[in-house]
Amino acid sequence: MTDAILAQLDRLVPNIPLQVVSQGAEALVLSTQTHPYAQKSGTFIIKYRPPKPYRHPKIDAQITRSRTAGEAKFMAKLRRAGIRAPNLVSVDPNGGLIWMESVGEILPNGAVSSLKNLLWYLEQGSEAAGLLVQSQLELACRHTGAVIAKLHMNDMVHGDLTTSNMLLQEGEAYLIDFGLSSYSALAEDKAVDLYVLERAVLSTHSVHAEKYNGWLLAGYKDEQCGAYASVGGKKKYSETLKKLEDVRLRGRKRSMLG
Amino acid sequence: MAPIDLDKYVRPGKDHFLALGLEGSANKLGVGVIKHPLGELTPENRALILSNVRDTYITPPGEGFLPRDTARHHRNWVVRIIKRALADAGVAGADLDCICFTQGPGMGAPLQSVVIAARTLAQLWELPLVGVNHCVGHIEMGREITGAENPIVLYVSGGNTQVIAYSNQRYRIFGETLDIAIGNCLDRFARTLKIPNEPAPGYNIEQMAKRGKHLVQLPYTVKGMDLSMSGILGYIDGVAKEMFGPQQKKLVDKETGEEITPEDLCFSLQETLFSMLVEITERAMAHVESNQVLIVGGVGSNERLQEMMALMVKDRKNGSVYSTDERFCIDNGIMIAHAGLLAYRSGQTNALEDTVCTQRFRTDEVFVEWRD
Repeated sequence: MTDAILAQLDRLVPNIPLQVVSQGAEALVLSTQTHPYAQKSGTFIIKYRPPKPYRHPKIDAQITRSRTAGEAKFMAKLRRAGIRAPNLVSVDPNGGLIWMESVGEILPNGAVSSLKNLLWYLEQGSEAAGLLVQSQLELACRHTGAVIAKLHMNDMVHGDLTTSNMLLQEGEAYLIDFGLSSYSALAEDKAVDLYVLERAVLSTHSVHAEKYNGWLLAGYKDEQCGAYASVGGKKKYSETLKKLEDVRLRGRKRSMLG
Repeated sequence: MAPIDLDKYVRPGKDHFLALGLEGSANKLGVGVIKHPLGELTPENRALILSNVRDTYITPPGEGFLPRDTARHHRNWVVRIIKRALADAGVAGADLDCICFTQGPGMGAPLQSVVIAARTLAQLWELPLVGVNHCVGHIEMGREITGAENPIVLYVSGGNTQVIAYSNQRYRIFGETLDIAIGNCLDRFARTLKIPNEPAPGYNIEQMAKRGKHLVQLPYTVKGMDLSMSGILGYIDGVAKEMFGPQQKKLVDKETGEEITPEDLCFSLQETLFSMLVEITERAMAHVESNQVLIVGGVGSNERLQEMMALMVKDRKNGSVYSTDERFCIDNGIMIAHAGLLAYRSGQTNALEDTVCTQRFRTDEVFVEWRD
């Protein structure tokens, strides 16, 4: 199937060498060395939403356009707010294309430096290196928590926080994939965001989940109650945490009627 | 986990199990008799459907079915339908192993009236009772009929809209509606347009949609793995009221200049709602890396939905869609008998005091002991 999608993509951006990074239900992520309009070198990421054959062409065009434009706008706003995320290079809403700068590094074991891979990588070496690795793990989690705190302080919600949607570069955490992101000032929505992350950590890093979640939340708290203390960060933090307790108890949203 | 012994409870001297299933969670009253051979069910060792009788309570156009009237319909018909199901199957009450009934989810009053019939029969014939989750009944029947092994299940009916995957002894809900169910959305729009409820409002919308040509843009409300439909219904109801209410406003298609018809509205509603369903199903498939989809529930008999699902699955490696026809898609007694018998064979029965029905009974509350 990927071949057919790549053929469609080739019509939009002809003659560019592309490498598939990952494929989700909605979009294909590729990497390339070519900049769309400037003579710049470096690695760029293309996120492509292909047309879906099952949808009516009008519905399909509308969804592709609004989602692509929405995601690009969200990324631009992140940059203005100073939240670490990939820089937007160009966007083609009708074609469903977003170009962005690549973030992240390659770990010594060859994997991309997502928080997930980093944790897995460090866990493996932790027996030999001991304390040093412990602090590295803690730092990575705390940095990530701080970025999420910043996001929430700007009334933005990621919508799909998992450890594979966070990349580390030079010790700093970056957020990626804003396909499900939205704007919300409600403590409820932020709490759900944190809950989704908590569950994701639990399912991908079950052995040390408690420790990691503790560090992530600690980083979140330090940022909101530290850097944002003067703009009501403490109050927002306690509101969100209180809601998080509720969300944890409630789990899923709805009890079903026949 | 070692597979459990499914033949532990077989009656001495018999080489099969027989169960009677009673379903009445909504406006259909269904009774069925199913026969399981000994051993695990496989494509070579299948369950045998001995009878499957159904009677639907149909209301006039523009009206829905109310719990009290539906319960009265079920009470009036339950004895006749059970007699017919037993006669069709050629089975006497004494031959059965258990009586299975829908314990929920559903409308309270209709559930109550059917469970009373089940309790009465169980005491008359001295048989154990097995309470069945309606959703699990749909899933198990779909699996048995189609032979799908471990599919992502899209359960779409008048009261439910869920994307389900099996893991670790439970049917887990990945995505679901945040407000009304898809069948409810279609039925209520049918009422707005005064489309007949015979044989089913959704079926009539499907037939009208086949003649629709122009797409009216509607809201599209997928939220991650979940979806919301009440806003879409409100929007299209508003459009229909403008067109057919006192205003008699004429809407035209922007591209062709042709007038928008009720058929176009049905077409647009289906296209929008089904796109949303297929999208969340695809997301769940990508998430659990499955390539099979099983569509169950009344709306699952819609051919356009099946077609769209097939188009989506074609783009996935070795993908396949499984669906059943109206005999098994729409609520029926046989699915309750089947799922109930599976539970009975793994040792789950309900004591008389535990047969209280519940309107709220989530799919993931059931411990699925019979699968590994």
